Formats: sequence, structure tokens, C-alpha cells
Amino acid sequence: MDQTQKTPTKRTELQMARSMCWHCQSEIHGEYFCVQCVKVQPVSKELDYFTCLGLPRLLNIDTDVLETKFYELSRVFHPDFFQNKTETEQAISLGNSALLNTAYRTLKDPIRRAEYLVQLEAGSAKDIRTSPPADLFEEILALQEDLQEFRSAAPGQDPGHMEDLRARLKTDREALERRQQDMESRLLELFTKWDSLQGRAEQDDQLRTEKTAVLTQMRALLSNRTYLRNIVNDLVETIG
Amino acid sequence: MAYSEKVVDHFNNPRNMGSFKKDEEGVGTGIVGAPECGDVMKLQIKVQNDTIVDAKFKTFGCGSAIASSSLATEWMKGKTLEEAAKIKNTDIVQELNLPPVKIHCSVLAEDAIKAALNDYKKKAESK
Repeated sequence: MDQTQKTPTKRTELQMARSMCWHCQSEIHGEYFCVQCVKVQPVSKELDYFTCLGLPRLLNIDTDVLETKFYELSRVFHPDFFQNKTETEQAISLGNSALLNTAYRTLKDPIRRAEYLVQLEAGSAKDIRTSPPADLFEEILALQEDLQEFRSAAPGQDPGHMEDLRARLKTDREALERRQQDMESRLLELFTKWDSLQGRAEQDDQLRTEKTAVLTQMRALLSNRTYLRNIVNDLVETIG
Repeated sequence: MAYSEKVVDHFNNPRNMGSFKKDEEGVGTGIVGAPECGDVMKLQIKVQNDTIVDAKFKTFGCGSAIASSSLATEWMKGKTLEEAAKIKNTDIVQELNLPPVKIHCSVLAEDAIKAALNDYKKKAESK
């Protein structure tokens, strides 16, 4: 990528895909529109969502800033403004807007934001392997068996037993929901920890180790949360 | 997205669904999960003289995950431990015609096979 970008002016905050206008071949320095022919330019596909929306790589973000930035950029690239332009310009506007929309949707939701950050920081999400939560799996399998029994019971079959089963499933559901909430608050604690690590000036090995530790814990929590969410959804669907 | 015929077939008529007792002689158990989608898969093998004589699975997840594990048990039966270890997720993808978004289901099945084999070996060695 072009490292020698000129001083950013108002409209050069995004990393653009090319350093030359696709239409008139004039040199461009990150402008969204070519200075010569005024054609819209594609943003870089490598652009990460945080940079795209003008945010630092933190987990507690100001959603007002996020929204303002999103609307500001949407007004620049929205396909509606390119309806009378050439096909290429329409395609570029669509591509830029699609990236913006995905970036906005991802960062707006705290869980997706965290998942994205872990993926971004770890290169690939798979680089941070967490040991599978064996106990949780056992629990889920046992619960699913109860659920299956409950679902496949013929009407009128041993009502007393079915009532017991329902009551047990309900207690399980409540316990799981509490655990889910607990996981979420632990996740929020990690958000704050990550942000404070990001704010540290010195870049040494210790900081890297600490960051990796936070990312690993976050990844484990995020995946356990997914398993729990699935089983809770199943429970809610079945017993209400 | 439409499931392939083979996926639907395995989903509607899952082969070898069920489980063995974990501590039963010759049984290896693998339980794995996919954090991306929250699917959980349990795959068990019963081994006699280094050959898998029976296999069972229980999977809670999407149709592709169920089909992948059903197919895996079908393939494992009759194979030696060494042969079973060679089953690759790409074989499952090919057989079931899984689309790119469902490849992780086949990966899950391969992981489950490995986990079950490892569990059996660990149990056999500790005797």
C-alpha cells in the first residue's frame, strides 16, 4: 500500500484501492473523487472496519461517533447519488457502500465488534485456539437429550413425568441464562482491560503477552457464549 | 441455499445415531464443537483388534453437521484405526457436495473422528 500519503485533507481519511484514477489515470492521493475528472474512486478492500469508520481499535466505543461517521460517509458514497452515472461508477459506489454497511453493522453490535477485533488482532481467528469446553459440551448433549425426549413425547404420555421434565428444563434454562449474563459481564470487563492495554505507550513483549492473554480469554468466552445461546434458544423454543 | 440430496438423505435417515457408554471396553469418544455456529458433535467408536466394529454419533447443529457426522460413522465402520485416521474433511465435502459456507461442518466431523481415535488410544495405553 501507498505509505507516502499526503497530508490528509477533509476527504482523504480512507485508504483507497489505487493511487491512480481508474478513469483518467491522474495521480490520486487518497481523495474519494479524482481531482481531475471527479469520478468516484474505490476504497481499499484491505481497509479494516475500525479505520473505515474513523475509530481507534478499542472495544468500548462511542456509538454516536460511529453513527455520525457512518452517515457522513454514506452521504458520500450512497448508490442513490450515482444513479445517473456510468456503470463503473455505480459499481464503485455500491462496493464502497457495502463495505461501509458491513463495517457499521459489525462495530455497532458489541459481540460482533469483539469477534471482529479478535479476528483482526490474531491475523486469523483460528490462530488463537482455545481448548474446547468439554464440560459444557457434555452438559449441552445431556440437555439436548432431555429436550428431544420432551419434543418427541406423544400427547397424553405419562403427564406426571412430562411435567417433571418440563420443570427440570425450565430450571436448566434459568441457570443457563444466568451463566450467559455472567459471561457477558466478564466480556465487558475484558473490553475495558483491552482498551487500557491499547492505551499503553510502551510496546514491549510484556504488553504483547498481556494482549494475547486478553484476546484468548475473549475468544473462549465468545465461543462458549455461542454454544450457550444455541441451547438456550432451543430451550426457549421448546418449553417457552 | 438448498441442501444436496445426500445431505437431506442423511438428515432424514441418519445412520448410526445414538451412543455407547463412555467407559465401555474398546469405546473411544470424541466431543467437539464449532465456535462459529455453536454446533456440538459427539462421535464414538467401538474398537476390536484395531478395527472399528461400530460407530455412533449425536450431533446438535445444522443439517450439514448432522449429515457430516452420519457419513463419518458410516465410513469408519469396518476400517482399521489407521485407515479411519485418513478420512479428510475434503472427502466429506465432496461426497455431500457441501457449499463453502458449510465446510466448517465437515471440519467438525474430521475433528470428531480424530478426537474419538485419540480418546481410544489414550484409554488403551493407560491400561
